[in-house]
Amino acid sequence: MEFKDYYQVLGVERGATADEVKKAYRKLARKYHPDVSKEPDANTRMRDVNEANAVLSDPEKRAAYDQVGRGYQPGQDFRPPPDWDAGFEFSGSGEPPGAGADFSDFFSQIFGRRGGGGARFQQGGNFQARGQDHHAKVMLEIEDAFEGAERQITLRVPKADAQGRVQVEDRALNVKIPKGVFAGQMIRLAGQGSPGHGGAPAGDLLLEVAFNSHDRYRVEGRDIHLRLPVTPWEAALGAVVPVKAPGANLEVRIPAGAQSGRQMRVRGKGIPAASPGDLYLDLQVVLPPAQTPEAKAVYENMARELAFDPRAAATEGAP
Amino acid sequence: MTSRDLIVGIVLDDAGLTLEQIAGACAVDRTWVVTHVSEGYLPVVGDRESNWHFTAAALNRARRIRAIERDFDAVPELAALVADMLDEMDALRTRLNRGGLS
Repeated sequence: MEFKDYYQVLGVERGATADEVKKAYRKLARKYHPDVSKEPDANTRMRDVNEANAVLSDPEKRAAYDQVGRGYQPGQDFRPPPDWDAGFEFSGSGEPPGAGADFSDFFSQIFGRRGGGGARFQQGGNFQARGQDHHAKVMLEIEDAFEGAERQITLRVPKADAQGRVQVEDRALNVKIPKGVFAGQMIRLAGQGSPGHGGAPAGDLLLEVAFNSHDRYRVEGRDIHLRLPVTPWEAALGAVVPVKAPGANLEVRIPAGAQSGRQMRVRGKGIPAASPGDLYLDLQVVLPPAQTPEAKAVYENMARELAFDPRAAATEGAP
Repeated sequence: MTSRDLIVGIVLDDAGLTLEQIAGACAVDRTWVVTHVSEGYLPVVGDRESNWHFTAAALNRARRIRAIERDFDAVPELAALVADMLDEMDALRTRLNRGGLS
């Protein structure tokens, strides 16, 4: 496990005042805030910044960190000495670095998952508390909403060893995603969050559903939007065309005189539910290329035979 | 629990989380949620506290507001305003994405 220099993370001197720590933290929290930052590693940097602030803004934790980290360089292999925290009494009032946020192994090794109770918080006499809820985003294909899916999700969970020290372990869960889910919906896995303390129940794992982007489909709520290319003669004359939609192969009637940009709705063919979504077809007329003499002749014939000027309305009345 | 066990999740419907559940999911006490609902910062379904339910979107908004309050010592009014602007930004990004411009 690599030593993290929290002073370096916040860019402050070791003797920085509480105000200087707060100022540096806010500056970096703005820079790496995941909602607005364009930095590619914003999430990781924000976690580090949150962790650094959680430690350096708390006098108890800062003092403990200064003691245990004395002589270490950033990136150096780190092992806290046994009973390093003897003599420190954590108040337990500190807030974890970001509710539901991920913790580095380094932070968890020193301060425990909750961040406020110290490494031995789990041995707290009659203390009872429900375990923390965890959050994760699960990325699905659009087709999964029609058929259901199974996904393996890896969680990083703290576990106390025989000495009561907290170690972070990976825990893999195989989760069945029922069909009919849509983006932004939450799936609750009861009891799969952090363990409770003193006999209290474990927290829950809340999975937020999101879809990978797709070349042809777009999802809005339970509705599916699909770009449907059609030939000029299908659009002009009307036709029945095959449509490969998620969850179904359909035959759809294109009305004569359809134009690019026209939207057709197929009721009930969106994401399944008691009130299923709809399938929207966005028509796109695609012209065949005029690369052969025969194809050019067809276009030239159309130009001669069809008195058609798509700019007529735009040029009407123009000088 | 082994990695072979298959866990079946419960899909939260449009009014899925109770007051206690959303408070737990945001790592706040229920008073924080009640205050933010009564000030109009969080949307809620239900006319009485005892039958309040919160959507997944409300949970995301609550977590966002909580993070802004915590990270910047922001007052709730300011955190809600920032959350409004972030929501607006999300909506604009969705429109850009829809138009193939992102």
